[in-house]
This record gives sequence, structure tokens and C-alpha cells, in this order.
Amino acid sequence: MAITGYLIHLGVLIGVFSMLAVSLNLAVGFTGLLNLGHIAFFGIGAYTSALLSLAGVPVVFSIPIAIVVAAIAGAILALPTVRLRGDYLALATLGFAFIITSVSRNWIGLTRGALGLPGIPKIASPLGMLIIVAIIAVILIALVKWITTTRFGKTLQAIRDDELAAKTLGKNTFVHKVGAMTISAAIAGVAGALFAHYLTFIDPNIFALGDLILLLAMIIVGGLASIKGAVIGTFIIILLPEAFRFIGLPPELLGPVREMLFAFILLIILIFRPKGIFGKVDV
Amino acid sequence: MVSIALQLILNGLIAGSIYALVASGFSLIYNVAKFMHFAHGAVVAFGAYLFFAFSGFPWPIAFLLTLIVTSIIGLLLNYAVYKPLRKRKAGNAVMLIASLALLIFLNALIIAIFGSDVKVIPLASQNVVFDLGVIRITAVQITILVVTAVLLLGLWLFMSKTKMGKAMRALADNKDVAQTVGINPERLYTTAFLIGSGLAAVAGVLVGLEQNLNPVMGTLLIVFAFTGAVIGGLLSVPGAILGALILGLVENIGIWWLPSGYKEAIAFTLLFVFLLFRPQGLLGKKMRAA
Repeated sequence: MAITGYLIHLGVLIGVFSMLAVSLNLAVGFTGLLNLGHIAFFGIGAYTSALLSLAGVPVVFSIPIAIVVAAIAGAILALPTVRLRGDYLALATLGFAFIITSVSRNWIGLTRGALGLPGIPKIASPLGMLIIVAIIAVILIALVKWITTTRFGKTLQAIRDDELAAKTLGKNTFVHKVGAMTISAAIAGVAGALFAHYLTFIDPNIFALGDLILLLAMIIVGGLASIKGAVIGTFIIILLPEAFRFIGLPPELLGPVREMLFAFILLIILIFRPKGIFGKVDV
Repeated sequence: MVSIALQLILNGLIAGSIYALVASGFSLIYNVAKFMHFAHGAVVAFGAYLFFAFSGFPWPIAFLLTLIVTSIIGLLLNYAVYKPLRKRKAGNAVMLIASLALLIFLNALIIAIFGSDVKVIPLASQNVVFDLGVIRITAVQITILVVTAVLLLGLWLFMSKTKMGKAMRALADNKDVAQTVGINPERLYTTAFLIGSGLAAVAGVLVGLEQNLNPVMGTLLIVFAFTGAVIGGLLSVPGAILGALILGLVENIGIWWLPSGYKEAIAFTLLFVFLLFRPQGLLGKKMRAA
């Protein structure tokens, strides 16, 4: 029984993180916007749905509202930042993630700060949750895949490869980039809301900086601008450190060793195989 | 009222001095090697933890050992990670991701070696408080102010008077021209990492004495130092130092109106605003947008 619970948990993690990785890939891989604040949209989705449902709003409404709030946050972040040069955009979005984290820790009246929010209503049993997460993940991944084949998606890739050329062809690159960030944020919001109702408890650690490296590792290991790559990257990054559980590592070392492993894999890929496993573009 | 104001300004200067020490090393490396070495924060944290680990020795020896080992760590990062990336002509974004990965790696390494609980350097218990009537200041805080002033003056003299410092500025201005006149970039990168990591060691020891040690201290310090550098001007070492001092003051005076938990939010909001509206900073030269 315990082993079933463990496998279900891994399955939910893979589902949630593959949504995050694929949506981040839409911004980073397909559009060329190095967004380091993606985890903030995840947290915003989680907190919005958690707070609303704790206030008595049914989950069928709280999750859609959470998605809209995350999308709006994405648009708000994108409006001023997508004009910035590559590394400045990265830093501004990282700063945004820090601001949201700081607010979640300090706006005690709303978020209860470090105490977190316990008792978030469950949607289903763990197995039911796994099925829901899996279905939604498949739908959203298919959606992103479809978006990349549309005229809109092709324009995003053109902007990534040569923004000036895209502009010259009369494309409104600004609107396209804001659009990509908004969609990307909305999907992260879905993942966050589902995760909150699965865990039934969230606290500001949901915005951990380590998770940023985790997400980057997923899309870079799999290969930027590859949907298949992001999903496989998610499997690898979630499952690989689980091996440490079985080699008898002391529990207090599990966390740090996992983070070191992610960072190490990411560095190795950056140095030796910048295209990742399935990638088409260099990092 | 006056006494509180003076105390907040003093606290701001002390916090600003620490940020300035961290920012000066970061900014030196950024200017010479042209990428953002975020793992610098973890190098600072290693400085603090090494000083803690060596606390069995008399403090001057412990400090010397800390300085040496921390500098070696900085050099190793450059040699093992950044150099191969430079060799394959990695862009700014890749260097940034790599430096963040290193930051996470080193933070986790600190937790694995020292544990995640807060540590206190034994020497800190010998700290004395001077009550000057209107303000209070500790011996450690006086040391912070004096050491920072001396080191930053030394850095300025090195950069403006020595041959090596001038070569670094030439390289910072224009790499191609600098190479043409016989400057070897890799040698200067090594020097920049050596000096920067040495400054990081000093900053780490001083922060460790002032605030105790926790594994994430490096991340916060580098974000504050980086924010200071952006405010003052990333492309100018004096600008980075000025910006760090301003940030320390703004944060500490800001507590007058906002709860102290918002210190970080103040810093990140400033970072965000400057990146959007004045990316060249207060002292920086105008840069081309996009």
C-alpha cells in the first residue's frame, strides 16, 4: 500500500512538473524569453485557488479564477519586461519571483506567512488526483504542441531566431511575446492550483529558488523548443534522484544531494551538450 | 527621534558596507569577464562557514586559512565551469543559468557539510557594545566599516594605479583592442576571480560575525549586492559600491514605514524599477537598449 502511495505521488509530481516544464518551454525555448520567474505563476495559481476555496468558493470556480489570475500576472510581468535585452529580462523576472515570494511571506493577513495554508479542500482521492492531473497535463501539452504549429506559434519562433526580421515582415513582436508569456503563466497557474488541492497544504516554500533550477534543468536536459524533450526531461529530473532513497542515504542529506545533482546535471549539459537530448536550438 | 534616525542611518551604512564588499567583487568579475557570477554569493557563504570551521585556530590564522581556501574555491569555479563555457562561446543567458546552478550547488553543499541549522562563530561572543549616548555600535560593526573602507580604497588604487588594474579596465572597455596590445584575457579573468573571491572571504567572515551563519545567507547577499550594483551601475565598480551603500540605507530607513520583513521586497522592487527604467544605473554610461 505504501509503495502504491509513493508511486501515485511520483506520478502526480511528474504530471504537475511536465505542465510547468512545457509551459516554461513555450516562453524560453519557443519564444526566446529567458523567464526566471515562472515559479511565481505556479505559486500564484496555488495560493489563489487555495485562498478562494478556503473562503468557501467551490473548486470548479476557484481553479478557473486561479488560472485567470496567473495569466494576468504573466501579462503584467511581460508588459514592461519583454522589451529588455536577454539577461536583463532574466534578472527582472527573477526579481519579480523574489517580490512575490517576499509578499507571500510577509502579507500575514492574507497568506498567514510562513505558517502556510492548511486544510485546502481535496478534489479527489490520490489515485483520482493522479488521473485528473494526467488528463489535464496531456490536454495542456497537446495544446502547447498545437500552438507551436499555428501561425502565432511560428511567429514566436521567428521572433526567437531573428526579432528584427520578424518585425520587418510586419509582425507585432511585442504583442506576440506578451501573448506567449500570458499563455505560459496561465498553464503554470493550472499546475499550481491542482498541486495545492493535491497537497492540501501550501506555504511560501512553494516558490523555492531551487525549483527554478529544477525547471530549467528539465527543459534544458530535454532540449529547448522541444515538447517531447520537456516531458522526458521532467521524467528524468523527477525520477533520477529517487534512486538515492534506495541507496540508504541519511534522510537529512537527501534534500541537499538532490539539489546538487540537479545543478550538476544542468552544468554538464550546458558545458557538453547545449542542445539537450532532443533540442533544436542552442541554449 | 533623532537618536532613532541616526541609529537607522548607521545600521544602513553597516548593511551597505557589507553589500558593497560583496558587490565590489561581483562587479569586478562582471566588468572584466562580462558575465554575472551569481555563485559569488555562495563563495561569500563559504567564507563565513570556513571561518566557523577553522575557529579552533587563533583568529588571525583562521582568517588567513579562510582567505586562502575561499580564493581557491573562486578560482576553481572559474576554471571548472566558466572557462569551458567561454571556450564554447556560450552567451550571456547560458553563463547566467550556469552561475545560478553553481549557486544552488554550493548552497546545497554547505547544507550537506555543515547542516541546515544556524551556526554561531565563537569569536562573535567576545563582541563588545559601545554606547555613545545617541547611538550604539559594536566592535564588529566598527571593524566592518573600517575594513570595508580600507579594502575598497585598496581596490580603487589597484584598478587606477597598477599595470594589472589598468589592463583590467582596458579589457573591460574593449576586449579586442586589449588583446591586440598583448593583454591575455584568461590571465586577467583568473586575477579578477582571485581578488573578487578574496573580497568575498572578507565579506563572509564579517557577515558571519555580525549576523551568524545560515546556508542561504549567500543567496540573499548576492541578490542585495547585485541590486546595489544595478542601482549604481553594473559597468562601473565605484557605481556598484555606491549603489550597495544606497541600498543598505534605503532598506534600513525604509523600516521606519514598513515592517522589517519587507526589507527584501524593497530591494527587489528597486531592482525591478532600475532594470526597467535605468538599466545603466546611476553612474553607468548609457547603454544601447536591446
